[in-house]
Amino acid sequence: MEQVAFFAGAIGALGGALAVVALRNPFYSVLALIVHLISLAGLFLILYAEFIAAAQIVVYGGAVMVLYLFVSAYVGGSEEPIWEAIPGQRLLAPLLAAALFIEVSIAVLGTGLKAIGERGPTLPAGFGSPGSIGELLLERFLVVFEAASMLLLIAAVGAIVLAGRRREAGPGGAGGPGQPGERSGARRDQPSPAPPGTPGSGAEEVAR
Amino acid sequence: MSLPLAEVGFAEATWIMVVKSIVIFLVVFMIVPVLTVVERKLIGRFQNRYGPNRVGPVGLMQPVADILKLAGKQVLHPSASVPLLYAIGPALVIFSGITTIAILPFGNVKDGVGFYGIDVSIGVLYFFAFGSLAFYGLLLSGWASGSKYSFLGAMRSAAQLISYEISMGLALLGAIMMAGSLSLVSIVEAQGTIWYVIPQIVGFLIFMVAGFAETNRAPFDLPEADAELVQGFQTEYGGTRFGSFLLAEYLEMFVVSGIATAFFLGGWMGPGPGWLDPIWMIVKILALIFVFIWVRATLPRLRYDQLMSLGWKMLLPLATLNVLVTAVLVVVT
Repeated sequence: MEQVAFFAGAIGALGGALAVVALRNPFYSVLALIVHLISLAGLFLILYAEFIAAAQIVVYGGAVMVLYLFVSAYVGGSEEPIWEAIPGQRLLAPLLAAALFIEVSIAVLGTGLKAIGERGPTLPAGFGSPGSIGELLLERFLVVFEAASMLLLIAAVGAIVLAGRRREAGPGGAGGPGQPGERSGARRDQPSPAPPGTPGSGAEEVAR
Repeated sequence: MSLPLAEVGFAEATWIMVVKSIVIFLVVFMIVPVLTVVERKLIGRFQNRYGPNRVGPVGLMQPVADILKLAGKQVLHPSASVPLLYAIGPALVIFSGITTIAILPFGNVKDGVGFYGIDVSIGVLYFFAFGSLAFYGLLLSGWASGSKYSFLGAMRSAAQLISYEISMGLALLGAIMMAGSLSLVSIVEAQGTIWYVIPQIVGFLIFMVAGFAETNRAPFDLPEADAELVQGFQTEYGGTRFGSFLLAEYLEMFVVSGIATAFFLGGWMGPGPGWLDPIWMIVKILALIFVFIWVRATLPRLRYDQLMSLGWKMLLPLATLNVLVTAVLVVVT
């Protein structure tokens, strides 16, 4: 059972990661990335890290990737590349990739492989459960945790400030200012959606 | 051999788990067609007409006719669509609906059998994890249909689901803190003295409002918006695939009502002997589904900007405030 789950997760994760790079259409790349992230969550489950697995799906698989998909569905499909190629890119990329591979190999060989032949450490009770993770975060790693949350808060405030500044930049600019107001103004001119009980929604009932 | 994956509160032999999954699955699937006819009859009454009354005695056989009609239709896809993704979309929506049923508790452990699919320690996070996969069902089916209406509907649903999921999670956090557990079974057990709907009334109301939005029900059915988007992401679907969207909508309604029942309405608790527990749970769920139908018949659809400002400017601060106040009270008492 564990083996089946492991290989299903591993194939999903590797295949997804390869497909992200290989596919030309950004929409499909994002879909492949979703497959990759969900397979990773499956691998976390095998490692008894069910909270991390759930957080992985809710945060990355759910919220973050929906935004990616959102954006790539809107702007995707354009034929011209959105970036400019750096000169010598084709030569440089494999070299850098090889360097990274060697670096990671050294790190893995130097530390992790010793545990592969053994049974692995015994798990303390409640390992990976939300309760034990909460205790670790709020007692042992409190300072790190608070620092990370401050960083996130600053990023969120920064995003709001940047968005607000663009709105002030003046009406008429593309995609920014006054659009929310404009949109709601335009909508106000339309007749409001039919309340239930009018012929429109009655007809929908009949259709069902 | 039971699954070694992750930690569960209580696990039985594999065959018991298989049997009880089939039982829960069948019961819920029997309820869904009944719900469709109940909804149509109720809406008929709310609108001062009869509702379906031709097929069978007082129209009770209507769902059978509907299902046969949907199943008998030709399965086709528009030429502008992406066939594979077009087929995966409805399947994903159904998948997320069915998997989330697993954590609804219909009773405690009796004679070595827990009356629930599975009692995971991550509890309600399971619901959010699989619920978030439903986004992709809607987004994919809207995008892969190759139609502007479907695409707009899918985009609306994605924005709406993201906005309301946060309030939904925060609304539950109050009850989670009071019970001191994420597991739905422990949360129901913690409500022995008082149902959380009384101390957590704000959380309950926020959860229900966000639940209307998450299930794409009126007054938040903008992704479907028949008047402007001709059913949104479902426009190009027909036959059984359309039927699966319909089925998923009712499943999601059932699940959201089930979560609300477990968190705020005392779950399976009720007077009477122990074997009545699952009945109580189902009765409470059906009562909440009645509220869903009632609201649909009462309130007009919100405008898109109203929907967004309600979610971000009202529900989210309210839910955060609720969590803060609850946290202080839990620590003080």
